[in-house]
Amino acid sequence: MLAEKALDLIRELQRTLSGTLSPYNEDKIRQVLEEMQNLYDQNRDRAHYAAGQADVFAAIQLRHAAIQRNKRCLLAYLYNRLEQIRKMRWEFGSVLPSDVRYNMCEQEVQWFTQYNRQLANYMKTIGESGGLDLTQDMKPPKTLYVLVRCIMDHGEFETQDGNIILLKKNSQHYLLRSECEHLIRQGILEHLVH
Amino acid sequence: MAAYSVPAGVCTNYFNIDDILASQEKVPCVFNAKVAALGYLDQSTTDVDLNVGTKLELPFWLARFLQKGARNIVTVDTPKTYKEGYRNIFTADPNVVDLHRLGPFFYLFGGKLLTLQLPDAEEIADVLLKTFQGRFRKIMDGSQNALHADLTSQTSVLDDQERHLFAAGQDSLHGFHRWEKRETEKLSTSVMVANHRKRKRIGAMPTAS
Amino acid sequence: MDPAEVEFLAERELVKIVPNFTQDKIYLISGDIGPFSAGLPVSVPLWLAVNLKQRQKCRILPPDWMETEFLKEKKQEEADSRFFTPMPSPHYMELTQLLLQHATDDVPRADEVRTLIKDIWDLRIAKLRSSVDLFVKSEASHAKLNFLTVMEINTVRQFLTKALDHMHQLRGNVSGSSQASHSQFI
Repeated sequence: MLAEKALDLIRELQRTLSGTLSPYNEDKIRQVLEEMQNLYDQNRDRAHYAAGQADVFAAIQLRHAAIQRNKRCLLAYLYNRLEQIRKMRWEFGSVLPSDVRYNMCEQEVQWFTQYNRQLANYMKTIGESGGLDLTQDMKPPKTLYVLVRCIMDHGEFETQDGNIILLKKNSQHYLLRSECEHLIRQGILEHLVH
Repeated sequence: MAAYSVPAGVCTNYFNIDDILASQEKVPCVFNAKVAALGYLDQSTTDVDLNVGTKLELPFWLARFLQKGARNIVTVDTPKTYKEGYRNIFTADPNVVDLHRLGPFFYLFGGKLLTLQLPDAEEIADVLLKTFQGRFRKIMDGSQNALHADLTSQTSVLDDQERHLFAAGQDSLHGFHRWEKRETEKLSTSVMVANHRKRKRIGAMPTAS
Repeated sequence: MDPAEVEFLAERELVKIVPNFTQDKIYLISGDIGPFSAGLPVSVPLWLAVNLKQRQKCRILPPDWMETEFLKEKKQEEADSRFFTPMPSPHYMELTQLLLQHATDDVPRADEVRTLIKDIWDLRIAKLRSSVDLFVKSEASHAKLNFLTVMEINTVRQFLTKALDHMHQLRGNVSGSSQASHSQFI
């Protein structure tokens, strides 16, 4: 059946949406584009003698529908991947894990870089004193300071008051909530509650 | 982080995955007109053309396109699952039907069928509504009661949209219980990061080919 | 909405405390608080009450309704009524939760209070579910439920709005008005 390959792309999205990003399926996309080109060429060749020939005209319409279906699947594939990448910016932070980046195509990497920059610029313009980090306080804050434990080695960390502490696995620290919330969300620190 | 995603309920979205998949479900068609050079779509024949009277199961998107208005290239029939026989089963006891096996886009595809001017469209619309009304209480109670129970037996018979609904109920339930146990105060690793790490640990990360 | 956000709203409710310190008025964006005189009751937002309590700076006077006799009556009333009865506080659940966590010693018969509140909550949630089911099965296009609290609404919000979306689509199918809402895309 026509437009089957394009549907494979959609099924691929359906399977991977919940967790991570699947590898950009360049090969399949090329095959879909080839099918579209073929259908288009066939239609163009027949268009000039279709007048008065109902069966040829019907075939042209059918192929046209298949081209449009392919187009919808392709665009949905690209769009939903971008949505996923955008969500990742809010979950992982401005630097994505290398295996995620590896699965992005060049344009997606570019898009991510620009989205990152725009978001940063926008956050910088909020308020008067240096902006507002919208990715912080995703839940109503309860306390100014929090007790945390390092889940993994993360090296040195400079606190706002200029002290340098070493984030070593299993070490515990009492830090400003605002400066360590990101590290907690990224799974480097664990928040300890009484 | 639902706030940053396109709402799942909006199925008229051009990019909606469920809408694309639902419109791929098959509809029985009979060709009213000859279609030149596309005989290869019918695997039961070696004819070059698709001839008048050819019977084919076409995906919904193509069936509707070929049927629409003056085009009238095919005549469509109601798919088996939506015919009277099945409709009677749904109305008899909506709760025993495995809509996932019969769907999985039972309501969404059913709604699409209504745009095909089928003679039994009214009955189909009616059975979609009644089936959901009949199953609603079980879905709601199921999603709101079981906290740690294995839910696969409950969700496996649900249609795709019903599953979204069930998941939403579960989400609220878990949120409330976490709050009751005072776990919401604790800042936690974001869901995506945790998933990513889990996958990496079990080595199930799809490798780029 | 996350229950933590509902709790945040509840933390603006005023409760009475008896401070063990003396201090002038504090001027905050959300309003003035104080002045505090040691031993004299004063109303403050819940968040501050909890904070002071944690630092042993005050004793919290639980709201009038947070006592077993009243709650037993309330529970009976709720059980007897087909409809939701008005609750003594729009944030009764969150107030109980926070006060019993941080100021158990200030609430007489705390465990009984906790059980009673939970019972009332369960009664109301069961009622809420039955109403929702009734509504979905009826031909009605709107329903009015009085005296529900934010936290109660919040437990069904996600589910209910999705279910109503779905119902709207299915009802539209029957009346033929949703033809246009089914996507015309290929």
